[in-house]
Amino acid sequence: MSDLFIGFTSVTWQQFVMYAIGLVLIWLAIKKEYEPMLLLPIGFGAILINLPLSIAGIPTVPGYENGFLQILYEAGIRTELFPLLIFIAVGAMIDFGPLFKNPVMIFFGAAAQFGIFATMIVATLLGFNLKEAASIGIIGAADGPTSIFVSSLFAPNLLGPISVAAYSYMSLVPLIQPPVIKALTTKKERRIHMVYHESNAPKWLKVLFPIIVTMIAGFVAPISVPLIGSLMFGNLIREAGCLERLSQAAQNELANIVTLLLGITIGASMVASNFLTWKTLMIMGMGLVAFVFDTAGGVLFAKFVNLFLPRDKKINPMIGACGISAFPMSGRIVQKMANDEEKGNIILMHAIGSNVSGQLGSVIAGGMVLALVPLLVK
Amino acid sequence: MDMLIYDLQQSSTTVQALAVTVGGLVGVFVTLAAFYLVMVIANKAGGRKAKAKAE
Repeated sequence: MSDLFIGFTSVTWQQFVMYAIGLVLIWLAIKKEYEPMLLLPIGFGAILINLPLSIAGIPTVPGYENGFLQILYEAGIRTELFPLLIFIAVGAMIDFGPLFKNPVMIFFGAAAQFGIFATMIVATLLGFNLKEAASIGIIGAADGPTSIFVSSLFAPNLLGPISVAAYSYMSLVPLIQPPVIKALTTKKERRIHMVYHESNAPKWLKVLFPIIVTMIAGFVAPISVPLIGSLMFGNLIREAGCLERLSQAAQNELANIVTLLLGITIGASMVASNFLTWKTLMIMGMGLVAFVFDTAGGVLFAKFVNLFLPRDKKINPMIGACGISAFPMSGRIVQKMANDEEKGNIILMHAIGSNVSGQLGSVIAGGMVLALVPLLVK
Repeated sequence: MDMLIYDLQQSSTTVQALAVTVGGLVGVFVTLAAFYLVMVIANKAGGRKAKAKAE
């Protein structure tokens, strides 16, 4: 008789907490529209994996070997396949045009990665080992697939909280960035106008760029090749001009299917016993720190560059904040802030150029972390 | 270089994180600087081509 009610008798209070967390994520996705494509599947996956006896994950019932979520995890996360497929889709969506018109913006994509490294240092001070700290720092890449890729290699036990933190804070960029930007800039700086020269990058540059970028990244940090290679492959499909169907398929069907599977599989990594720990709370806190440091790093770098520029060529320092990978959200926020400060101040194309470079910067930073950390960990 | 890596391997986790920070930030800047050069050179070459065509 007790077997009949085994579902009721084997549920724990920790699992009830996970149902609540899953419901909150689903609520945020539907009601607040915070990254709904990911938070909804993650929330549902969290509920699914914490149902008694884990039939969907690693079942504890004799006769069941692998639940479907476990199979998805083994196939898509442990092999790093899902984040790489997402990168092909993202690459097909990126237009490097605004960056080609104003190449200097690329340096903001480097400066705004400061949050990754600063957070990594904070994490080590809080007692995390170097690989865990690096995985937590990567939340600051503001780039979900890179976070998943790095943490699946370095700290698979922290994959759930790191992914939830990365996607939650990416959706909260409109709330996180403006106060940091305002705290670090004066009204006068936020009103700086920037001249934009309309010109079209030659097609051959658009085609050659992804190939050259892949090769340079491959020479500098060979371990980053899967990340940058998939991103640039997607971009090459887009820019080739003769693969419109493939480009559309990557941007739509591939992106949608993999996002769906990725979300529910990440949710499935949120098993109560792993998730309900102090580490999760600390990771959520440090994720916020990472985004704040990223924004500050970009803005302060722009202010530093301004010290050397003539008065009529000064950069609006808010552009620096767009060097994170949250595209195009960050660029739009900065444009809105510029317009709020002074009606008609258009810096959108500069902001988008910086934002696109953030996507390159975050992948390269991920590659650097992947290359350097194993050298120091025996 | 091997000596430096060996020393860092013996250091505390925070010192190792600092080393990754320095190496990582330099690496990101250098790599993106290489991309910058590619774009500048390409823009210049593109500009010359367009000028030649107009003439």
